[in-house]
Parts: sequence; C-alpha cells; structure tokens
Amino acid sequence: MSSDQDHLQQTDTEERFDFKKDSEAAYAAEKGLTEETIHAISDDKDEPDWMRERRLRALKQFQAMPMPTDWPGQPDLSEMDINEIVPYIRPDIETRGGVDDWTDLPDEIKDTFDKLGIPEAEKNALSGVGAQYESEVVYQNMLERWEDKGVVFMNMDQAVQEHPELVKEHFMTDCVPPSDNKFAALHGAIWSGGSFVYVPEDVTVDMPVQAYFRMNSEGMGQFEHTLIIAEEGSEVHYIEGCSAPKYSAFNLHSGGVEVYVGENAHVQYSTVQNWSKNTYNLNTKRALVEQDGRMEWISGSMGSKATMLYPSTVLKGRGASDNHITIAFAGEGQDIDTGAKVYHNAPETKSTIESKSISKDGGRTNYRGLVHIADGAENSSTAVECDALMFDNESTSDTMPYMEINESKVDVAHEATVGKIGDEDIFYLQTRGLDDDDAKQMIVSGFIEPITEELPIEYAVELNRLVELEMEGSLG
Amino acid sequence: MSATLKQGLTADTVRELSEARDEPEWLLERRLDALDALDDLDLPDVIQTPGRRWTNLTDLKFEQLVDPLNQADETERVTAEGVEVLDFETALDEHEELLREEFGSTLDPQSNYLTALSAALFTTGTLIYVPEGVDAEDVKIRTEMRSRSLFSHTLVVTEESASVTILEAIDDEGPTDDDEGRYFSNLVEVAAGANSNVQFGSLQNLSEDAYCYTLKHGIAGDDATVNWIEGNFGTQLTRSDVETELNGEGSESQIVGSFFGHEDQHFDVNARVWHNAEHTTADLVTRGVLDDTARSVYEGVQDVGRDAWDTSSYQRENTLMLSDDSEADASPKLIIKNHDTEASHSATVGQVDQQDLFYMNSRGISPEQARNMLVEGFFVPVLEEIAVEEFRDDVEALVQERLRN
Repeated sequence: MSSDQDHLQQTDTEERFDFKKDSEAAYAAEKGLTEETIHAISDDKDEPDWMRERRLRALKQFQAMPMPTDWPGQPDLSEMDINEIVPYIRPDIETRGGVDDWTDLPDEIKDTFDKLGIPEAEKNALSGVGAQYESEVVYQNMLERWEDKGVVFMNMDQAVQEHPELVKEHFMTDCVPPSDNKFAALHGAIWSGGSFVYVPEDVTVDMPVQAYFRMNSEGMGQFEHTLIIAEEGSEVHYIEGCSAPKYSAFNLHSGGVEVYVGENAHVQYSTVQNWSKNTYNLNTKRALVEQDGRMEWISGSMGSKATMLYPSTVLKGRGASDNHITIAFAGEGQDIDTGAKVYHNAPETKSTIESKSISKDGGRTNYRGLVHIADGAENSSTAVECDALMFDNESTSDTMPYMEINESKVDVAHEATVGKIGDEDIFYLQTRGLDDDDAKQMIVSGFIEPITEELPIEYAVELNRLVELEMEGSLG
Repeated sequence: MSATLKQGLTADTVRELSEARDEPEWLLERRLDALDALDDLDLPDVIQTPGRRWTNLTDLKFEQLVDPLNQADETERVTAEGVEVLDFETALDEHEELLREEFGSTLDPQSNYLTALSAALFTTGTLIYVPEGVDAEDVKIRTEMRSRSLFSHTLVVTEESASVTILEAIDDEGPTDDDEGRYFSNLVEVAAGANSNVQFGSLQNLSEDAYCYTLKHGIAGDDATVNWIEGNFGTQLTRSDVETELNGEGSESQIVGSFFGHEDQHFDVNARVWHNAEHTTADLVTRGVLDDTARSVYEGVQDVGRDAWDTSSYQRENTLMLSDDSEADASPKLIIKNHDTEASHSATVGQVDQQDLFYMNSRGISPEQARNMLVEGFFVPVLEEIAVEEFRDDVEALVQERLRN
C-alpha cells in the first residue's frame, strides 16, 4: 500500500471532504437565472446555436413549472431560492475540456483531487477518469487501449463540439426531456460539464471509468450532465463520486444522467454521494434499455441536506432487465428521499430493487419507488425489498412504494421491514469481546454489505469509512 | 371544492330534512356546519404518479345523483342481549346526551368534501351502544337502499370491558331503470372504551350501476381492540377507507379487506392505522381478486408515532388477476418515527399458480373447477377472521356466485 493510501486511511474522512480552497475563478456567472445567464454560459462555452436554443427552451419550461410541493412527506425545499445560486463558475485553467496530466493542473485544484485520492485510484483500478471542479471538467484521461477500440470518454462540453450528431440525437430528448420535472428543466437550461461515454458494439470495458464532481465555492450550483451510450453487446461500468465542503449558505446539485443501453448491452452506474450537509441534491437519472440489455444502478447516498433522487429504468425491449441497489444514510438534519422507478414496457422483462436505509440523530430516510408493468409486458417479474434500520427515537424511516400492474401474467412482490438495531445481536458481539460501538458498526457494515460487494474494493472501503464516520461520536 | 350538485343544496334543504325528522337544534347546527365547510374541503386524497391518476373521484357521480330530500331505505336491525341497537331517531329519543357527545367525535365530519356532504345529509343511521361488561355477538344491520342517493351514519360506542361483533350489510332493490345508478355514502365511527373489543364487519353488495363512498374510523382506548372486516362485491366504483387510531396503551387493530371485481368495476380500498401509544399492535390484511377489466387501487398506511414505543405492525396485500385486462395498483406505506418498532409489509400481484393448476388437472379436476377452488382458497385467510357466521356464509356465497358468472 502506498504512503498516500496510508495517509487516506488515517486521515479523518470528514477532514478529507470538508477542506476548502481559495480558488481563482476565470469566469463566474451572476447569481440567479435569466436569459442573459444562458447566453453568458453559452457564449463562454462557444456553443453551437442548437444547444443554445435547447437551453433557452428548457429555461422557459423551468419558469413555467411549479416547485414540487405536494408529494406526500417530501423534503422541505422552501429555503432553497434558485435566485441565490451561482449557476456557473469556470475555474481558471488554460486547457478547455481538461488536461490529461494531473501535474498540469493549478496546485490548489490538483491538491484537492490528491486529497480525495482520485489520481491514486486511477493508477490502480480504473480505465479512465474525469474530474470536474465547479462547473467545468479539469482533468480527463483514458487508457490508450480503450481509445484504440473506439471508446469515447470525454467531458460533455467537448462532446457537444466533437460529436454533435450523437449528442443532438440523445441529449435530453427521449430519455430525460427537460419537461420531465422542474429540476430537469433547470438542468437543461444551465447544465455544464459532466461526462460523455460511448462504447462501440461488442466492446467490453473491463475496468470502470470514473468521474468525480467537486463543488468548492459557497452558494454555487453544479449541473453536470452525463450521457452514456452503450451499443449492442457492449459493457461498461461508470462510477460517479461527489463531494463538497460545508458552507453556511446552501449549494444545489442538480445533475442529469441519461443512459442508453443497447441490445444485449450491460451498463452499471455506481454513485457514492457525499455532498456536504448544506447541499440540496435533486437529480434526474434515467436509462432506456433495449432487448436483452441490462441496467444496474448502485447508489450510496450519504451526504446532502436533502436528496430527492429516483434513478429510473425503462425496460423497452423483450428480455431487458434492471437491478437497483440503493443505500441511504441520514444523520442529523438530513432528509434522504430516494428510491427507484422501473417501467416494464416489454414482455419477459425483469427488475429487482434492493433498498437499505439507516436513520439516526433525527435524520429521515424515505424509500419512494414506482414499478409500472404495462399491458402486454407478459411474463415480467419484479421483486422489491426494502429494509430500514433506525437508531433512535428522533429519527424517521418511511417507505412509500407504488405498484401499477396492468398485466396479469406477472410475478410482482414487494417486501419491507423496519426495525431497530437488535439488542440481542449487540449483546452477542459484546460477549465475543467487541465494545458497543464496534458491535454497532459491525452490524451496520453487515446491513449494507449487499451494496459494498457490488463496488470495486476501493469504493467499498470508502463507503464503509463514510458509514463509520457517520456512526462515530453518536454511539455509546 | 365547489361541486355543483344537480339538485342544488342550500341551508334550507338541510333545515327541511332536519325538521322533517324532528331533530334537536344541536344536530341541525352540526349538519349546517358540515354544509358550510363544503366550499373549503377537497375530495379525499388519491394517489397520482407521473401519467396515472389511480382513481378519479368525480366518477362517483355524486354531483348528478345526490337528491337529499328523496332518500329511502329499508333497514333491519338485529340486536343481542344487553346491547342497544337503535335507529338514529329512536337513539335521539333515548340517548340524546350520548349521541351529542359521541357523534362526530371519533370521525371528523369535515375530514373531506364527501364526509361533510354525508354529515350534512344523512337520513339513516344506527347507534350501537354496548354498556360496561356486556359481551354480545351477532349484532346485524341489513339495509336495502331504495332511492337515488342515501347517506348513512353508524356510531358504535363500547364501554369498558364490553365486547361486540357486528355485521353491517348494504344492498339495493336492483339496478336503476335509467342506468344512471345510485350513490351510497356511509360513515362509521367506533369509539372503543378501555379493554373493550369490537369486530365491525361490513358487506357491500350494491347493484353494479351504483357508486359508493365509505369512511370507517375507530379509536381504541387502553387495551381495546378494534377489528374491521370488509367485503366489497358490488358497485361500479367504490372508494373505501378503513382506519384505526391506536390511542390507548396496549390497544390493537386488525383491518381485513376483501374484494372481488369483475366487468368494469373499480375498487379503491384503503387501510390505515396510527400507532399513537405504547405497546400497540396492528395487522392489515387485504385480499382481492380481479376478473375481466376490473381494476383495484390499494393504499395501506402504518404510521408509528414518536411515542409509540414497543410497536408491532404488519401489513399484507395480495391481488389475484384472473384476466389479462384487469389492472391493480398498490401502495403499502410505512411511516415510522419510533425505532422501538417491529414493522413489515408485503404486497404481491399475480395469477393463479400454474403449478397448482397443473397438479389439480393431473388429479382429474377440470381447469375451471381447479381455478375456482384456488380462488375460494385464496379468500380463506379473510374468511377465517370473520366472527359473525352469517357474514362468513354471505362472503363465501358471493365468491362462489361470482365464479359461476
């Protein structure tokens, strides 16, 4: 193990994420949101007219839509004033679209990602890495052998310039149109940065590609867009990491993710989200899956003040399948409202959803999920399992599944349990020599194991450390 | 909400209705309060997801069908020893103070537009009063609806350590001549005193051009048990809410629901329980069968409050689809604010088990007969809970009848 990694293991994780950097911005948009803002962003990016038009259209939709306020039990968004958000900050770097060598970055940005352990992870376990700082991707690199096979992994702004046909066809059209919800419309208007991934037919990218999103400035919004196109028979695993230091003003993260899973292709999308506890995390993520394709969403939601995130999958082709694994951990002052949506629109489609949530110190978790089986989607099946663990009497654990079944030849099952951490389990572990804190941590680690075992070891370790950190100080 | 009732609805209508029944002033006032509240009240909540509203409650057609001054019913009440089972007018004569205190105290008449409408216009109703320590079985109220619209109100009061089993059944004199249908509205409130025990069964078998709205709400005192059993077979569209507040320590509730929809019937059934005290237990069980283009909507809510230490709460919902064209929506919800809780829910939707069918066929049972046996078997967990024998027989007979058609 390198000394850097030792350093990571030993450093308090909160310190790792919570450091702040004085950063010189090359360009920062005014607070708030008008047509001028859109033109300023689009000018700064030197975008083609069609993208500028899409942004302006999305802005109109955003302005026309009401804030969501009538969902049962939804997180309180009333303190979030979009006019207080700085929508766009371009860090001061010379190379547009990001450098491909960490040492070319300004010291304070390089230092940020070093502390987060990204360059180290790239060396050990990844096919490619993108790193976004504020609104722009500052680093982008992929192993040559994937480039040779025609795999594209670049930042989204660059893709608008270099792959206009693919982007025009797939960007916020069939998958997540801006009309989907108010925050998708907001995203469509002021998106910046993010990743574009294209995997050609029959190519298997056997090590994951990762993008890391870092918000550094107070009061900013980050609106990165990720578009993944996996052609027939291809396979790719994309990992997304997010963090920001904590400020007194709120930050807003409203990302958009669109995944096109071709016939017989397989995409896994893993997220470990550790936004600071002043961040509103309101994302729209969706995958369209063709015949015999497979989509997997692995999500760990640890951070944020409020999260509303329901990764969704539309099973369009016969035999397509979906797997959701989600874990939510809400501590003091956090409201993590997350879940899954699956539309079975073709016969012989399958989905499984596994949700684990932990609430403590007054935090609230909610599993909110929708499974829709369309008429004609015969011989489809879905299994949903939600388990929740509560630590104390100040916390809240809700489960709100919705099932819409319009086809009779189906197998639909939903199960959920909620309970406290078992006194007997703790007692047993204590008799084996563990103290109370260690026993509880071990039980929680076991509880979330279905998630961690789906992640590459580095990320599993990371997730476990985050959980341990959340548990520290509040136990015993 | 401002609904436009075809027959018009003014304070004068309500006064006329109340005067004709020679009601005391306080009851008239309450009817008028409910009437006044209508403008500010909305229809009951309905689940809506992107692109799908689970039930459209204006389809209940109450706006066209409500005819306040022409309500008629034929009701038979069977009492048991020690229990008072009285129609509303007699109850006003004999237990006015009790009614004044209890009427609308368990179920808030201003819960929503339809409950307020019901409280303003009800003309038939029953008081079931079980004094302290009385143990009674097989109280029966059978109502036949004989008008375009009918509003009914049932109040059950059990004193300490009393026990009662009740069947309330509603049907009508047959489909309406002009196919316009009928609107039946029924509010039931159960105030269960300490250590008392109530099983309230209700059987709805109205004609299939009818519409029904019902809200049943119980409050359980210390160590009390409030059990509900519902059977829904008739109507074109039914919205039914069955609810218990477990306010007493050690109180319990079981909410058992069953429905069998065919043709284009739509059942929107809801079961909700609030755990508001320590050591409370709830068990929600719903079983439904859908044939033809029938549709069901189910919402179950287990709400465990901050003070509800040592809670046990369970919920199961199973829907069996006999036809490709039927549709089932379900949302079993858990709202948990106390960690000292053991809670679970499960829901399934599917067809008759193909292996079971195959096995029975191999034993020489025809496919149709095998299917019917499996459907009858599907309802057994519900039937087993029914304490009133006549009710059990009725449900069994209705299931069999529907399977034959």
